[in-house]
Amino acid sequence: MPTTIIYSEEELVLLLKQQSRDAFNYLYRQYSAVLYGVINKVVYDEQIAQDVLQEVFVKIWNNIPQYNPDKGRIYTWMINIARNAAIDKLRSKGEIMKSKIQTGEDVVNNVQGGMKTEQSTDTIGLKKMVSDLKPEYQTIVNLAYFKGYTLDEISKTLGIPLGTVKTRMRYAINMLRQQFNN
Amino acid sequence: MNTKEYIESGILEAYILGALTVEEQAEVAANIAMYPELAIEVAAIELAMQQFAESNAIEPPIQMQEQIWNAISKETPAAKPAAPVQTPKPVTPKTIDIARPAGGHQSQWQRAAVWIALVGSVVTNVLLWNQKSHSEQQVAAVQSHMDTMQAQQQQKFTALAASYQKVKDMMADTSMQTIVMHTVIKDKPMAATIYWGKQSGDTYLMVDNLPMPPQGMQYQMWVIKDGKPVDMGVIPNDYIASADVMNKFAMQVKDGQAFAISLEKAGGNPTPTQVCVLGKV
Repeated sequence: MPTTIIYSEEELVLLLKQQSRDAFNYLYRQYSAVLYGVINKVVYDEQIAQDVLQEVFVKIWNNIPQYNPDKGRIYTWMINIARNAAIDKLRSKGEIMKSKIQTGEDVVNNVQGGMKTEQSTDTIGLKKMVSDLKPEYQTIVNLAYFKGYTLDEISKTLGIPLGTVKTRMRYAINMLRQQFNN
Repeated sequence: MNTKEYIESGILEAYILGALTVEEQAEVAANIAMYPELAIEVAAIELAMQQFAESNAIEPPIQMQEQIWNAISKETPAAKPAAPVQTPKPVTPKTIDIARPAGGHQSQWQRAAVWIALVGSVVTNVLLWNQKSHSEQQVAAVQSHMDTMQAQQQQKFTALAASYQKVKDMMADTSMQTIVMHTVIKDKPMAATIYWGKQSGDTYLMVDNLPMPPQGMQYQMWVIKDGKPVDMGVIPNDYIASADVMNKFAMQVKDGQAFAISLEKAGGNPTPTQVCVLGKV
């Protein structure tokens, strides 16, 4: 592979607006693994994850003319497209309904179980980091970020007050921030 | 706003994690736009989630890159194969020569005419298609509007039919008495009518002419029993506003010699202070 050029966010947007094969190759090389990782956290099924990844790239490609840098970073924008597409897929499969009737404890187990299966893949870095978080914090981040739960739904599912859900979110992300800063 | 408390509450994390409702999201976005310290915090949270996503990265299967590019090229014909990045050249359309007739001069004109016709046709098609989808949207909007209107009308009809039925039942009740209450205040013409079914105890009021009570005041209904006024409750102001509509009182009245309406402070009084209209049975 030739030496990798890294573009700034602005350059990347300009490049993508060219809609060339080169632009696609760069986009794919740079972001496919992150986006695929996010999707996998949501759907847990390789075939579905691949379908979603394709949808996500097509969506990024088609929507790049509408992307507005004032509304946030393109990286966040792309991650959110991946997250939302995966969550939509999950909902359309009715899986989320299934998981919603489970008790809080089951959800905790599920989320941990999910982490365990991923342990076998070749990513190591974060695993340790997130497993440093106590399960009750992990679960809340996972339910919101990867399963699309609202505060209210999390509070009902886990049987903890809404305010506690929010403060635990803050605590969990503070932990992440500290860990990434080190 | 105490931005420190706001930040500590965890609402910004909930915002970035996507756990807020649409309304809450809009509210938080407005706050972020207003307070720079919130925007700084949000950027830090976003960065953490981005790093979190990065540390979760998984390489997709190798064939995906080609597969996705094929899907993109199919869906967006505009995707150009490896175009030079810096200088996009103007696109010159390719022409196919079809048995070029003799006399180049004429054929150039013909070619131009074909191109004009072709371009014109494409443009027209695009315009028509746009128009069509636009009209389809309009039709759908009108349709849903009509549906709501129909449902609303249906509701009104049902309510009206019910009220007619009520009047019919009332009129069929032979024991129903009509008591017109006239003004007791000189030079102030006021009137209201009571329909009273003595046997059933049902009492209906129809306001004929009563001015809206002043601010903080309300009309109160009374039945006079053995010389003493008995409270039948205050009259909601919308009864006064909707004259000619019959309204039933909750209280059953089996016995009485007269009906009266008085003006009282809002909420009513235990005994009437200023009687306005009075009618004897």
